[in-house]
Amino acid sequence: MADQAIFLMCSPRGEESASYSLGSYVTSLLEEKGITINEYHIYKTLRNQTKIDEMIKSVNDSDIIVLSSPLYIDSAPTNTIKIMNIITRAVQEEKIGKKKRLLLAISCAGYLEYYHNNIVLQIYEQFAKTNGFTWAGGLPIGAAGTYAMNTITSFLEQLAQLPEDDPRYEIYVKPTRILDSVIKGAVEYLSQGKVVPKDELQKLEFVAMPLESYVEGGNKNWINWAEKIGTVEKLRDKPYEIKQ
Amino acid sequence: MDYLILNGMHENDSFLQEINNRISEELDNQGLKGESILLHEKTIKPCLGCFKCWVQTPGICVIDDYGREVAKKMIQTDNLLYLTSIQFGGYSSELKKALDRSIGLLMPFFRVFHEEIHHETRYDKYPNMTVFGTLDQPNEQQELIFTKLVQRNSLNNFAPKFASQIIYTSDDALTIKGKIERGLSVLGDVNG
Ligand SMILES: Cc1cc2nc3c(=O)[nH]c(=O)nc-3n(C[C@H](O)[C@H](O)[C@H](O)COP(=O)(O)O)c2cc1C
Repeated sequence: MADQAIFLMCSPRGEESASYSLGSYVTSLLEEKGITINEYHIYKTLRNQTKIDEMIKSVNDSDIIVLSSPLYIDSAPTNTIKIMNIITRAVQEEKIGKKKRLLLAISCAGYLEYYHNNIVLQIYEQFAKTNGFTWAGGLPIGAAGTYAMNTITSFLEQLAQLPEDDPRYEIYVKPTRILDSVIKGAVEYLSQGKVVPKDELQKLEFVAMPLESYVEGGNKNWINWAEKIGTVEKLRDKPYEIKQ
Repeated sequence: MDYLILNGMHENDSFLQEINNRISEELDNQGLKGESILLHEKTIKPCLGCFKCWVQTPGICVIDDYGREVAKKMIQTDNLLYLTSIQFGGYSSELKKALDRSIGLLMPFFRVFHEEIHHETRYDKYPNMTVFGTLDQPNEQQELIFTKLVQRNSLNNFAPKFASQIIYTSDDALTIKGKIERGLSVLGDVNG
C-alpha cells in the first residue's frame, strides 16, 4: 500500500496547463485513497535551492511519483530534463534512498495522435530505470489542449447531455470517458503499490477524429486568436529570411 | 554551404568539447564556414509555452535573450549540428533550452504531412540535421530512443537530410573519426 506521492508538474503554463489538469486529477483521486500528496510546479521549484532540497526530500519519502509534462519537440522540455538530472544526482548521492517507488508519467502532446508521446515516455521509463524506480506506465495524451481548457470532470459534465449521434460524442465524450476510466484504473493499481497493466494503458491508443478535422479546427483557433489581437496579416512573416 | 554547431555539453564535459573540436577541424578541412555555440555559456531562458512566437510576434520569441539569436542562426544555416550527451535516451537540458525556443521557425498552422499532423513551414528552406550523442558505454535501449528521436525531429523540422551518430567515451581515435565522417556525410548546400 502507498502512503505518500509527489506530483511533479512540469508545464510552464501552471494551472492553465494540460499537465496540471490531468496530473492533478490523478493526484486528487490518489488523495481520496488516503495518500498524502506533495505538489511541485517545477518551473517555480527550479528557481529556489531550498525548494529543490524540499522536492528531493519529498521524492525520498514518496511511494509514488506522478510526472506530468508537456511534449516539446518530440521529447521532454528543458526543465523536465533538468529535474530528472537533479533527482538522478540525488539518488547517486544517496539523498534519495532505496525503496520501492512507482513512477507514472503523463505526456501532453499538442498534435492529435497519441503516439507522438511514445519516445518521451520511453525517456521517462529510462529515467525510472536509471534510478531504480519502478516504471508504472505512461499516459500518452494527444490533443491535450482540450484538457488545458477543461478538467475531465467539468468536460464530462458539460457534454453529459449530448446524444450519441451528435458528431461531438465520438470526438470528445468517448475519448474523455476512456481517459477517465484509464486514470481511475491506474489510481487503483498505484494505490495498491502495483504497476498499471500495459493493456489498460493501450486503451489510450486511439485517434479521436479524422486528421483533417483536427487541422481545420486547430487552424481556426490560431486565426481567431490573431484576429483578436490584430496580427492576422503578420502570421506568415519570415523575420529571419536571408535577403538575397 | 555553411554550418552551425549547437553544443549542448554540460560544463566540464571535456569529452564532448573534444568531439566539438574534432568536428570543427574536419569541417575546416572540408573548407566549410560556420560556428559553434557553447550553449551553457549563454543565457537562454526556458520556453514559456505561450505560443506568442506564432501569434503575437510571428516568428520571433517574446523573450528577448540569446534564444532569439540561436533560432535565427538555426534557420539561416545550411547544416545544423547538435552535440549532446545522451540523457535517458534524449538530449541534454542545455541543448534543449535552445531547441524549445525555436518553434517560431515553423508556422502555427497544422497540415497533414506523411499521413500525420505536422505544422506548415514558415521558411522556404530548412537545414540538414546531424546529431552526435555521447554515452559512457553502450546502452541498447537509450541508443534506440535517441536514434528515433533524431528521426522524428528531422520530420518535424523539415530537414532535407539527417543523420545521427553515437560516440562512446571509450571509442578510440580512429572509431571517433569514422563516426564523425559518417555524421557529416549528409551535409550539403540546401540553397542549391
Ligand atoms: C516549444 C514547444 C514545442 C512543442 N512540440 C510539440 C511536439 O513536438 N509535438 C506535439 O504534439 N506538440 C508539441 N507542442 C505542443 C504542446 O505539447 C501542447 O501544447 C501541450 O498540450 C502543452 O501542455 P501543457 O498545457 O501541459 O503545457 C509543443 C509546444 C511548445 C511550446
